[in-house]
Amino acid sequence: MGPQLSWYLALSAVLFTIGVVGVLIKRNVISMFMCIELMLNAVNLTFVAFSSFFRDVSGQLFVFIVMTVAAAEAAVGLGIIIAIFRNRESLDVDDASVLKL
Amino acid sequence: MLTLLFILFAGMAVGCAVSMVAQRNPLYGAISLIGVFISLACLYVTLAAPFIAAVQVIVYAGAIMVLVVFVIMLLNVEEEERQPLRLRFLVPVAVGLAAILFAEAAFIIFFVQASPATPTRNISDVGLTSSIGAGLFTNYLLPFEITSILLLMAIVGAITLARRGGLLRPDLIVVPGAQVLARDVLDPFAPPDAPPIVAHTTEEVETQLGLEGVPHLETDE
Repeated sequence: MGPQLSWYLALSAVLFTIGVVGVLIKRNVISMFMCIELMLNAVNLTFVAFSSFFRDVSGQLFVFIVMTVAAAEAAVGLGIIIAIFRNRESLDVDDASVLKL
Repeated sequence: MLTLLFILFAGMAVGCAVSMVAQRNPLYGAISLIGVFISLACLYVTLAAPFIAAVQVIVYAGAIMVLVVFVIMLLNVEEEERQPLRLRFLVPVAVGLAAILFAEAAFIIFFVQASPATPTRNISDVGLTSSIGAGLFTNYLLPFEITSILLLMAIVGAITLARRGGLLRPDLIVVPGAQVLARDVLDPFAPPDAPPIVAHTTEEVETQLGLEGVPHLETDE
């Protein structure tokens, strides 16, 4: 008996929860960004597990698209982080609580 | 065998994730996150999805994390210092809500029966690159094209965001072969909206600035 589908779903839930906790307790923008990446990966694991157990390729295609979105998010998000750092000389989210520069 | 592999890589993933959240230095957090990505790629291999595993290593552990580490080093990020907790009075509320959530999860796990139609896994060609490519270019062609537009927008947005303001103001005209100088570069007392100086030679600049006859530094050529 190999690993069941529920095992993968439980692991994904644990990883997602760790990512949520990280986003909530971190103050550094880059650390919060990495926690968001962790949450995206947890969802990807769910997709791949369902795709493999139900023998449907759609889940893996969605993982492919999620990865593309994550790459675009990384480029734009890090650009925003650099712009914030230039304006405020700080990466603390509490220093950037106002959208106005 | 698969069970052992699952336990090994799931433990690695959870351990690296906890370590990432617990680290104060973002660089160590990034290294831990790479560990999570690698172990997830190994889990994808055990799920018979080799293409997704390869893309996971290349895109996530390669491209995205290189970008993150690059930004961390570029910005010279320091460790977070321990700050006093604001909103301390909310801690018991948070503990209570977490207890309720755990109780609900335990209730669901223990009292809801598993559905009899639990799928069984069979070896198939689902995870192969050819089937993914076939799906991507037939049924899912529109999302694929939208993805390319999204990437183009990301490129433009990233360049716009990360670009410095630029040395030349947007109202300056650059003529090839000519010198264009903002007037307040040469004269700090000039009003900020003075027209720029366009000249081809040093003498023209002097004429426009009213500086004829100033001595030049003579150089032997």
